Amino acid sequence: MSGPLVLGIETSCDETGVAVLEGMSVRSSVLASQVEMHERFGGVVPEVAARAHVEAIRPLAHQALTNAGIHPDQLDAVAVTRGPGLVGALMVGFAFGKSLAYSLGVPVFGIDHMEGHLMAPRLSFDEYEPPAVVILASGGHSQIVHVKGWGDYEVLGGTIDDAAGEAFDKLARFMGLGYPGGPAIDRDSTEGDPTAVDFPRALKDRPFDFSFSGLKTSVVTYLEKAKDEGTLPERADVSASIQEAIVDVLVEKTFNAVEATGVERVGGGGGVLANRRLRERFAEEADRRGVGLFIPETSLCTDNGAMIAGVAVDRLNAGHEGDDLRGDVDPGLRLGA
Amino acid sequence: MSLDITTSSPDETLALGRKFAALLTVGDIVLLSGRLGSGKTLFVAGVGEGLGIPDRITSPSFVISRIYRDGFLPMVHADVYRLGSIAEFEDLELTDDSGDGVLFIEWGETVAESIGDDRLDIHIDIEGTDRRFRFEPSGAWYDRDLAVLG
Repeated sequence: MSGPLVLGIETSCDETGVAVLEGMSVRSSVLASQVEMHERFGGVVPEVAARAHVEAIRPLAHQALTNAGIHPDQLDAVAVTRGPGLVGALMVGFAFGKSLAYSLGVPVFGIDHMEGHLMAPRLSFDEYEPPAVVILASGGHSQIVHVKGWGDYEVLGGTIDDAAGEAFDKLARFMGLGYPGGPAIDRDSTEGDPTAVDFPRALKDRPFDFSFSGLKTSVVTYLEKAKDEGTLPERADVSASIQEAIVDVLVEKTFNAVEATGVERVGGGGGVLANRRLRERFAEEADRRGVGLFIPETSLCTDNGAMIAGVAVDRLNAGHEGDDLRGDVDPGLRLGA
Repeated sequence: MSLDITTSSPDETLALGRKFAALLTVGDIVLLSGRLGSGKTLFVAGVGEGLGIPDRITSPSFVISRIYRDGFLPMVHADVYRLGSIAEFEDLELTDDSGDGVLFIEWGETVAESIGDDRLDIHIDIEGTDRRFRFEPSGAWYDRDLAVLG
């Protein structure tokens, strides 16, 4: 192992993540999830999230350093998510990261959360590098990105209404399956028949864009009609059919982008990439087309500090010296903009 | 003095939003209610098009609110479904963010008491593939010529 020692901090949403990287090797990565706190609301509540980050961040940073066997003085840089995300949540990590960097006299890097997801596969696969097409899908985002080089990204398409994870959340809530919706529907689908109900796959004419609003409406309409008529199928069949509709669209659009760009590597990130059916389908499709698939283990798909540190390691290796300490968070940050 | 308008496709809902945009003025607050899949976000997407906002209007549910500044009027689009209390809503200061523009709040009925009387409530009912929009003006909205929407 070699390369700079970087502490990465992620607090854009409902997970507090801190990690230590040595080069692109993960020395430690710890997480405090708030899922249980947000469960009763069926989603992330901004104020609850910010308060929970405040409580978690210091002990978590301590734990990350301890697990890595590193004294803070040994750090070469601190990396922290600058956006996009919930403003209150971002501010907690950003203030902590800047303070720590300042007190240690090392550079601080304000990192785009989405760029972190694009970099995450690099922590699992040495051979993952640009050019690549990467699908990013979570509760807050659904995008297909052409990674032309590190720092050189083109967003090819994305959702025109709900993010994929949001569609899972809303439909799981409607079906009474609980939060977060993705894992709930994933579990419920295990025993279900994905061909039981033929829910719509929207936007056939737009190769890289998604729409999940029509699916939502279709599921609601279908369930109410079936209930009235007494033809309600097993819940697992409905779950599996919903999951298949979302997975179909994500796989098809991603490989449309692979074909259009001619890249030979396809990557993935974001919480939705933890979905088992989606991973299975991506593996089949990549295999069939003979392209390399770089979807890291689940803990690197969901939000984490390691991917944030990873971007800073790349910056340091490229000779960057860090960002201005006077910088601020940017909740509306957009990749490639 | 409420007004009902029925749309029979997503395109018609978008078009209704576009038309509605012409009625808007600085400081307007619109509360939208209606069940999952009723077309709240789609209607606001139409309003965004009408206001000349170049960005895609995507669902604000996950992030609670999004601000669009590149149209004829700034627009704040929020979804308050998950907020635990009126106090939490007030902490977000959305009415400040939209002071020089317009504010659309999905699931807005839960925070209506915090908004005050100058507001338009839009309730959307699902009727098969149709959507019935009920426009209910309060306060200053009484003087607005909603009839042009019909």
